Amino acid sequence: MDFQIALLLAQDGVVNGAVYALLALALVLVFSVTRVIFVPQGEFVAFGALSMAAIAGGRTPGTLWLLLVLAALAIVVEAWRARRGLAVDWRSTLVWAVAFPALAALLALVVKPTAQWAQALATLVLITPLGPLLYRIAFRPLADATVLSLLIVAVAMHGVLVGLGLYFFGAEGSRTASFSDSRLDVSGIVVTGQSLVVVGTTLVLSALLFAFFERTIVGKALRATAINRVGARLMGIPTALAGDLSFALAAMIGAVSGLLIAPITTVYYDTGFLMGLKGFVAAIIGGLASYPIAMAGAVLVGLLESFSAFWASALKEVIVFTLIIPVLLWRSLKSRHVEEDE
Amino acid sequence: MNRRHVVIAAIVALAAAWPFLGEFSVTLLCYIGLYSMVAAGLVMLTGVAGMTSFGQAAFVGLGAYATAWASTSALLSSSLGLAAGSALLPWAGLALGLAITGAVAWGLGAVTLRLSGHYLPLATIAWGLSLYYLFGNLDFLGGHTGLGGIPALTVFGVSLASTRSLGLAIWAVLLLALWALHNLLDSREGRAIRALKSGRVMAESMGVNTAGQRVKVFVLAALLAALSGWLYAHMQRFVNPTPFNLNLGIEYLFMAVIGGSGHLWGAVLGATVITLMKQYLQDWLPTLLGASGSFETIVFGLLMLIVLQRFADGLWPAIARAANRWLKPVPPPRLPPPVALPTTAAAPAGQVVLEARAVTKRFGGLVANNAVDLDVKAGEIHALIGPNGAGKSTFFNMISGVDDPTEGRVHLLGRDMGGRPSRAFAALGLGRTFQHVRLLGTRSVLDNVALGAHRRGRRGWLAAMLRLDRAEEAALLAEARRQIERCGLGAQAAALDLAPRLAGRDAAARPRRGGRAARRGAAPDRALRPGRPGRHAGCIAAARAAAHRGDRTRARRTPVPAAARRAGRGPAASREARAGTAALAIAQRGLGHPRRRARHGVRHEPRRPHHGARLRHRHRPRHAARSAGRPESAGGLPRR
Amino acid sequence: MKLLNKKTVVALAASLAAAAALADINVGVTLSATGPAASLGIPEKNTIALMPQKIGNEKVNYIVLDDASDTTTAVSNTRKLITEQKVDVIIGSTVTPNSLAMIDVVSEAKTPMISMAASARIVEPVDDKKRWVFKTPQNDIMMATAIADHMAANGVKTVGFVGFADAYGEGWFQEFTKAAQAKGLTIAANERYNRTDTSVTSQALKLMSVKPDVVLVAGSGTPAALPQKTLKERGYAGKFYQTHGVANNDFLRVGGKDVEGTLLPAGPVLVASQLPDGHPVKKSALAYIEKYEAANGKGSVSTFGAHAWDAGLLFERAAGEALKKAKPGTPEFRTALRDALEQVKDLPGAHGVFTMSPTDHLGLDQRGRVMVTIDSGAWKLMP
Repeated sequence: MDFQIALLLAQDGVVNGAVYALLALALVLVFSVTRVIFVPQGEFVAFGALSMAAIAGGRTPGTLWLLLVLAALAIVVEAWRARRGLAVDWRSTLVWAVAFPALAALLALVVKPTAQWAQALATLVLITPLGPLLYRIAFRPLADATVLSLLIVAVAMHGVLVGLGLYFFGAEGSRTASFSDSRLDVSGIVVTGQSLVVVGTTLVLSALLFAFFERTIVGKALRATAINRVGARLMGIPTALAGDLSFALAAMIGAVSGLLIAPITTVYYDTGFLMGLKGFVAAIIGGLASYPIAMAGAVLVGLLESFSAFWASALKEVIVFTLIIPVLLWRSLKSRHVEEDE
Repeated sequence: MNRRHVVIAAIVALAAAWPFLGEFSVTLLCYIGLYSMVAAGLVMLTGVAGMTSFGQAAFVGLGAYATAWASTSALLSSSLGLAAGSALLPWAGLALGLAITGAVAWGLGAVTLRLSGHYLPLATIAWGLSLYYLFGNLDFLGGHTGLGGIPALTVFGVSLASTRSLGLAIWAVLLLALWALHNLLDSREGRAIRALKSGRVMAESMGVNTAGQRVKVFVLAALLAALSGWLYAHMQRFVNPTPFNLNLGIEYLFMAVIGGSGHLWGAVLGATVITLMKQYLQDWLPTLLGASGSFETIVFGLLMLIVLQRFADGLWPAIARAANRWLKPVPPPRLPPPVALPTTAAAPAGQVVLEARAVTKRFGGLVANNAVDLDVKAGEIHALIGPNGAGKSTFFNMISGVDDPTEGRVHLLGRDMGGRPSRAFAALGLGRTFQHVRLLGTRSVLDNVALGAHRRGRRGWLAAMLRLDRAEEAALLAEARRQIERCGLGAQAAALDLAPRLAGRDAAARPRRGGRAARRGAAPDRALRPGRPGRHAGCIAAARAAAHRGDRTRARRTPVPAAARRAGRGPAASREARAGTAALAIAQRGLGHPRRRARHGVRHEPRRPHHGARLRHRHRPRHAARSAGRPESAGGLPRR
Repeated sequence: MKLLNKKTVVALAASLAAAAALADINVGVTLSATGPAASLGIPEKNTIALMPQKIGNEKVNYIVLDDASDTTTAVSNTRKLITEQKVDVIIGSTVTPNSLAMIDVVSEAKTPMISMAASARIVEPVDDKKRWVFKTPQNDIMMATAIADHMAANGVKTVGFVGFADAYGEGWFQEFTKAAQAKGLTIAANERYNRTDTSVTSQALKLMSVKPDVVLVAGSGTPAALPQKTLKERGYAGKFYQTHGVANNDFLRVGGKDVEGTLLPAGPVLVASQLPDGHPVKKSALAYIEKYEAANGKGSVSTFGAHAWDAGLLFERAAGEALKKAKPGTPEFRTALRDALEQVKDLPGAHGVFTMSPTDHLGLDQRGRVMVTIDSGAWKLMP
């Protein structure tokens, strides 16, 4: 392996790592606010990519029907809660269960955009409301359950979404057109425009999220909920809003990831699982709490993957997952874990 | 008719109906039995000991592949001197499988069980996937295509080739395993295992080797999985890597959680529900929804979601609650006469038992304790008082071994305890209670107190599983009862026992004098909520500490000192004043009321041993200024 | 709770058994409609829906179960079909490990089985157990020799191999190694990747570093396009060979421009319309294509579905013979069915002409294989 190959491998690792980093960001975000280890994050990626492919191919993506069904279900759930006398935030319900789905239906069925950016936008509008709707239907009723119960619910949801993915999109995968066809030549190494788009988008999105969490009041409210739910509620922060928002952000990040990878690889209905797993590895390296370390972990996983695939491609997974364990050990020993009472 | 009778009746009915069941029902029962074995191990690991593992499927694979290779390998049969199709080869495979799995589990456990919190489940995913891909890459194991031609089992000349006969073996093994696990949980070691979930600090101060216990539980779960794998290989007679993938690992965890992760029968229930549900969906969905799509996974996932929303604790607790409405409670076990428990000899009065010299603790730049000296003599009571943030808990942690001083030495009974864990302190007779009383909320008062006597028992895992520890258990429980009486809680212990809630004695379980915590904790599906123990919790904790030491004075009713009563905590400390105790009890409680606190930091003074003494304020500041408002925590660690 | 469930299952079994015993012919099918092999299993499932509903005077019931590409489920399905539904024949499964695992069950129950999986190990060598097992897909070795022949004839010396990290890739490597050795070719690299991998750049770089004359991709379905696209992107200039596993139109869709000029062996059904008119397979292949596309849309035909179709044809011919000897639902019928299957001669199917024998339970010969290339986004038969 000479230097050039090493550079190419590193480039590949960084690009893959960037996508894993986005997944890790979403996972850390959702966990820190709602204590849900959101296994189906990978499904958002797959749905985003495949919906984009469907829209680009002039077909109506099946995720639209899922969205409409979930929206109806969410409205029913909120109405039932209102009848039982619980506090219902109709404004946010209207946004997630009526406004977004209506807009998505409009774009997908009536407008049928042909410009790539418009199609991407339509995909984002389609996938983002799935997050808060799933939260309201499946996770919010269990807000006080143990982390293990929430994890199992997330796993069950993952099964449902994978099955739906197969039903909507079939067993064969799809690709989309790349955002940028340019190829740069940097000292003999070919750097595709698409990979620059991927890394660039990851950095921009991370920076935006950083600004959001540090500078805006809503972001700070989310962080407050993550640190102490009860305290946040006492300060008047509606924790249901926090749940909605974190899931919406996660879904949006997932959709963006899907849009980014669809041009560079074929996406299948079950691509999400393994990707989500690697994002999960990165999130755990960050202790499910720290964003920068999670992103660093993601790049590490990407690099490990690409280098071990070069050395022994049949044993790639063995190497990657075995080498993760010392990293976990190191991280675990570094962070003194405060015992979480059951 | 109580619960035990129902279980026995069900087993007898199953055995009686076995020859008459349909062929496929028998096959299903075989699969249910195999999955239940793995799920039972997971119940022990995840539900009881609190370690989530997704990697059990890999251990099943180890067991299956070991016997697959052993039964078909010409190399092994020739080296053992057996004929190629010998009936002994599967048993060699069993031995090999258990040995390899035990070794791998022990190694993996030693490394990954150090991981705390969320690192552990991920590590289990990591090596679960590693092992799966390893199986697929080894040619002598058949690679991805698999290894076939595995012979059937033969037991004493009887061939278990048919599913009907093998199923009997599977269920016999399963029921035996469940019996052994039940015995284990119902013993001294079982109490220690249960303590692993909700706080290792408390368990360590009672003398439990938590790290060792965790590895042992992990290896136990792995061995159960390997056993299941062995039986699977000889049932299917073909192994390939796909049944040992992460998906199956997740499904086993599913079964444990759906069934009820804290209950052994929950494992069987979960395996049954999931297996049968998959079959029913396969049979009925195509007629309902048309054969065009594959809706089974979707409907299955939706059903699981609904079940989890309704029964967050799993199905078994709900079913047990419903059944216990018309079942009588299980009578307490009849134990043989107790043996004598070892007690430590009392140190002569006046001898220094605990000595701290220039103990300093720094957290980064913060000095929590600065060159503190302390002498505690046998027979005296020392009070350490100070306002919030003074460093009392930190100091307690150091003289009880939970933490190590940055500088200085601690001697207990003349021995230098530098760097020793709290287990070592406990072994020398130190007992400790905590400010945040660490009770096991789902266990009875008796169990909580009996945990304190852990160190005084000797019987280990094997003895517990085989029920050879009953005399010692009787002694430990008798000791626990005695300590509860000493604390004056004897009459109320049964009322406080919210754990029998599960046995249906809801009405009796509500305490007559509703403690505010008991009421708050009386949510329908919860027992004692940890962290809100109520005013009797202090007594329970003290009783636990006393059981650890074997305090022997008669219980006497004494009025509670005013200060302690106003602080709302138990009266145990004053009783200890009269006990010619062998070693030291460290009772830790916050004093609460600001005006009672001394103004200038921590001080210690010998307290005159009669009740009603007022605390004297000596103005001898011996301790560095405390940080402003640092929240007190028993661990003494700075919060992140 | 357990008692209740057992009773229900027993009652279900009894009622189903009663229903099935009404002298209908019952065909049990287990295939992988979900999981990693879904792209193979779904066309097969669609094809089962097109199979004949009546043979002679007897009604035929098809009971289709999904095994999710998992061996345990495949075996469990087989047991269920045999003991609950009392089927006369089993068609399945889609992938090799599942089929291998099912051999023990069907041989114990003395029920014939027609597999739709690739490996020759399923039917060779014919022994006591495997005498009950037949298969319809061409053996990998047949396809591998076609590729090796073509390579040798075109002056290729070194081959880079990149395949799936599963039973398909593994089996293909073993078979191709044999074929390559016979023709004096050297396999310069042996790389693997997962079906769900999003990037094979590392494998591509490794392949390119050994500079093989050609690259053979051993994958099935659209994931097989990934290495080819990556290598093209990295500037690899040599020729590509694929396996018959990619023979569906989705591969063309996903591969796009990058798969132009690829060479692969395939069953004749892929290019049925281009076969010369006298070709023995043309008529039967076209008949299948017409039927499948009428039900599932133009251009949707897949060679995997065609394997299921061939299984159906074999079964139809054999059942016609067996009905003369015994009634359906009896062990004699099943034995007669097995014997009849073994005696099938010159049956034109979608993939070739089947002639079974006691030592050959596949029955395909050179007419079951053609070399195809991709030209202007379509399959083109090579002479």
